[in-house]
Amino acid sequence: MDREAEFRRLYEAHRAAVHAYFTGRTGDPQSAADLMQDVFLRAWQHLEKLTDLPEDRQRAWIFTVARNLSVDAHRRQHTQAGTEQALAREPARPPQPASTAVIAAERVAVVGDAIRRLPEPQRVTLTMAAADGMTSAELAVALGVPAGTVRYRLSLARRAVAEALDRYDDPTEK
Amino acid sequence: MSLDDDIAAWAAAIRLPEAEAAAIFQRIAGTPVPAPLVPPRLDPSWWRHFTADFTARMVASTRPVRQEA
Repeated sequence: MDREAEFRRLYEAHRAAVHAYFTGRTGDPQSAADLMQDVFLRAWQHLEKLTDLPEDRQRAWIFTVARNLSVDAHRRQHTQAGTEQALAREPARPPQPASTAVIAAERVAVVGDAIRRLPEPQRVTLTMAAADGMTSAELAVALGVPAGTVRYRLSLARRAVAEALDRYDDPTEK
Repeated sequence: MSLDDDIAAWAAAIRLPEAEAAAIFQRIAGTPVPAPLVPPRLDPSWWRHFTADFTARMVASTRPVRQEA
């Protein structure tokens, strides 16, 4: 077995989802990249065990490690601090007449702000679905919750984002 | 612009850049792999002795007990 090629396959298959998971949890893509590196370092160290597993068990293994690391990071208070810093860094911008590009950037900011304000389970689920295009079944394996719960969280999260965009599009609306 | 388009545009903004993903891969793949743990094994002669001893006990246990008059 070419160890590096095997690891590359695993890395490319899951890195976007793992990064999205940590971005959803921390609110900070840079902290998410650091935590993602820790997850895949463990995968690299346990590659022989991982490659023997079917794909869904590999995903479950990777996200079990991710959840544990996330809990550790939370205990060290880095996660909370990162979320607060990210929230402080990127406040919602008031809508104003502007060019198409600026409007597009503002809409991205509105979406990001709405997502950061979601309860964590909804935020993580929507971030993973949006960044990696994972299905409800894949998200269920990764997050260790039923697929119905995933769909419910996505529905609530999308509604909250839609409402934020409606307020942006029509600031006179309550 | 649909809700999906708006969310996709946000997702593109937070996605890990390819160059950074490649750099992380290289850092990890350059890490030495820990040597596999070899589980402790019994010496093969242990099994020979065990088998011989076990067989002898089995044979002895099935031998009819001599009834004393």
